[in-house]
Amino acid sequence: MKNESDMHPAGAGEEPPPPPLDCIFCPQSVAVLGVTPTPNTVPYDIFYNILSSGFRGTVYPVAPGKRSICAVRAYRYVLDIPDPVDQAVIVYPADVVDRALEQCGQKGIRSAIVISAGFREVGPKGVAREERLKEICHKHGIAMIGPNCLGVINTDPAVGLNASFARKMPAVGRIAFLSQSGALCTAVLDYAREKQIGFSKFVSFGNKAGVTEIELFDYLHRDPLTDVILLYLEELRDGRGLIEAARRVTRGENAKPILAIKSGRTPQGADAAASHTGSLAGEDAVCDAVFREAGIIRVGSIEELFNAAILYAYQPMPAGNRLAIVTNAGGPGVMATDAAVRCGLNVPPLAPETKEKMKRALPAAANLKNPVDVIGDARADRYAAALEAVLEDPQIDQTLVILTPQSMTDIEAIARRICQFRQTAKKPLACSFMGAADVGPGIRLLQEAHIPHYILPEWACEAMAVVQKVRQWRDRPTTAVEPLPVDRETARAILTSNGPGYLDEDRALGVLRAYGLPVPEYQLCRSADEATAFADKIGYPVVLRVVSPQIVHKSEVQGIALNLTGAESVREAFGRMQQHLRSAVPEAEIRGMLVRRMVPPGYELILGAKRDPAFGATLMFGLGGIYVELFHDVTFALAPIDRATASRMVRHVTAFQLLRGARGKPPADVGNIEECLVRVGQLVADFDRIVELDVNPLIAGPAAAGNAVADVRIRLTE
Amino acid sequence: MDRTEIEKRVVKVVCGVLGCDAETVTPDSHFVFDLGAESTQSVELVAAFEGEFNIEMDEDAALEVQTVGGAVEFIAKYV
Repeated sequence: MKNESDMHPAGAGEEPPPPPLDCIFCPQSVAVLGVTPTPNTVPYDIFYNILSSGFRGTVYPVAPGKRSICAVRAYRYVLDIPDPVDQAVIVYPADVVDRALEQCGQKGIRSAIVISAGFREVGPKGVAREERLKEICHKHGIAMIGPNCLGVINTDPAVGLNASFARKMPAVGRIAFLSQSGALCTAVLDYAREKQIGFSKFVSFGNKAGVTEIELFDYLHRDPLTDVILLYLEELRDGRGLIEAARRVTRGENAKPILAIKSGRTPQGADAAASHTGSLAGEDAVCDAVFREAGIIRVGSIEELFNAAILYAYQPMPAGNRLAIVTNAGGPGVMATDAAVRCGLNVPPLAPETKEKMKRALPAAANLKNPVDVIGDARADRYAAALEAVLEDPQIDQTLVILTPQSMTDIEAIARRICQFRQTAKKPLACSFMGAADVGPGIRLLQEAHIPHYILPEWACEAMAVVQKVRQWRDRPTTAVEPLPVDRETARAILTSNGPGYLDEDRALGVLRAYGLPVPEYQLCRSADEATAFADKIGYPVVLRVVSPQIVHKSEVQGIALNLTGAESVREAFGRMQQHLRSAVPEAEIRGMLVRRMVPPGYELILGAKRDPAFGATLMFGLGGIYVELFHDVTFALAPIDRATASRMVRHVTAFQLLRGARGKPPADVGNIEECLVRVGQLVADFDRIVELDVNPLIAGPAAAGNAVADVRIRLTE
Repeated sequence: MDRTEIEKRVVKVVCGVLGCDAETVTPDSHFVFDLGAESTQSVELVAAFEGEFNIEMDEDAALEVQTVGGAVEFIAKYV
């Protein structure tokens, strides 16, 4: 119970205590504000659900003008309730929710679930209402779920809370489900009931004006009743916070996997980006890559989400990716093998002892290789013998049992026999009883015993592959971001002396050079004489590039001259470009021509960075030059990055096959490419003013020749 | 019709539709938050006011009225 000090909000000037999420999930008393006596309405059903779900605490209806609701004495205001209240569930119409919440604050209630809609989702008026709720929560230290949500369910028998308008209380389980969409929740609950999937906690967090998925991650990480967290998210606001929370949850002690559906796209900034990174980094691929680097496993559908979740929640973690398949039909065995290999699983040969054991129990026609075919007339004894043998095989980490319903197949007996292995098997076991009507009773037996079942063997393989990702993520060594030595002051001096917009190329190169990127020697030359003298000094061939604040796309105005092999060609190009630019872009202020050595040919790569609206500084790497938009062979990560992340980025893109030396060509200096990525990440993390950076291309030559920055764009904000 | 008379008759209608006691009704009473009106009862209230005062109100504007005092002000424009 609360003590006296808990009952009152913090005084002026004091920080309110941390949001009490325990009051959200484990309240001892709940007041439902805005209850009406009309069944089949949200206000009534919420109250009825709390009453009828086996809630172990006290529930109070707040219903002005009503003496009682469902035979429970009603109160006009929450302030009239004589006892302390832990949680308020608010179902009033949107325009009075603030009044109700304010009274909750005055009452000392520390958690609220605002079911009502009519807030941010309806436009400016709703935004103002939602801001008001935030203010009240902040003032009184209230942890608020919603508004615009389905509610919260805690199946723990010690609590038994169904503070939602879901039709039925789900079964007890070890899966927590968090969803931004309330309507989806009702569908998921219905789906899960059919498949006998239980939940530990079920949260619809709606507009997330108070408690967000980030706080919920941390709470569920500590929750002893939750093994796996499922998330349905439509909108990312604090992407970086989400990623940091996910890393806390998915690694280390008490690690729990997070499987997520992220629908919709990250909103692109209103200012259409001119650079390649700008146009690519707004893609959903950023979310994909960033989730991957945080251990969040992104899936595409509810089916995939639960397929993987039940395998993780119901079965032990496999030691590796080696799969044995036991089937009574050759075709499905082959299909499963194909799917397994496609998903990255290994279907290895079985140990000789395993084959020997099976040989004694199976008919001569049986196939003792992996996949093991126990033949179409197999009954429970054959399945049991094969299953026992493969589960004991030291070269096998997990097993998939496939059954097709043939006339002699004793489906339920086989299911019962498989269920017996649930108690003894130390390796994951999944089943695919293929079909629908005939196999139905067998499937139900498996589901009751928490043996993961999949209608298609391919789905089982996909779920196993997801669990492999969880294992690989946990096994991945944790490394810290170690800053490399850079000349930060020089970079700062260049950046602070320039206003918003694109940096001129000489200055952008100066910034990169200060951060240790391989920038060829260059000089901004204001005359043909100066240009030829510098070219003579650095050697030929050289390139001339116009430098003007008004010219971003140089090649479009003939502002580049390539492969100049002598002083005369430099002088001629300088004059020709100057003359052309004066007539083509008369408004441009020409600061001069940048002269630098021509970079020898190599693989053209892009190293980019952008401030993503949700994730902040985001790095991009991939195939550059003209191939950027053509192939989209790029990947992303949050800056700054460590060397291991850089290494994974480089290896993630298809172009890595070229960099490692394809078809007899010499390999590129991959180590230096990784270092360049780390340095770009450090640069954009150090300077918030850099909103876009594009090294495109970085020419990756043979390892002996090294890499070189051939072009760069840096855009600054205010 | 003077303001006191309108208020008296408004309170009578409110109590009749929402089933509340007259002593709990003040000009500041919010139909939903203080008197427990359900969404369908808002429409009933508008109809009952029209019947009581023999007037025809702009329904959208009438449904925006949230308090007893607000209803008195609104109806005063019609009578």
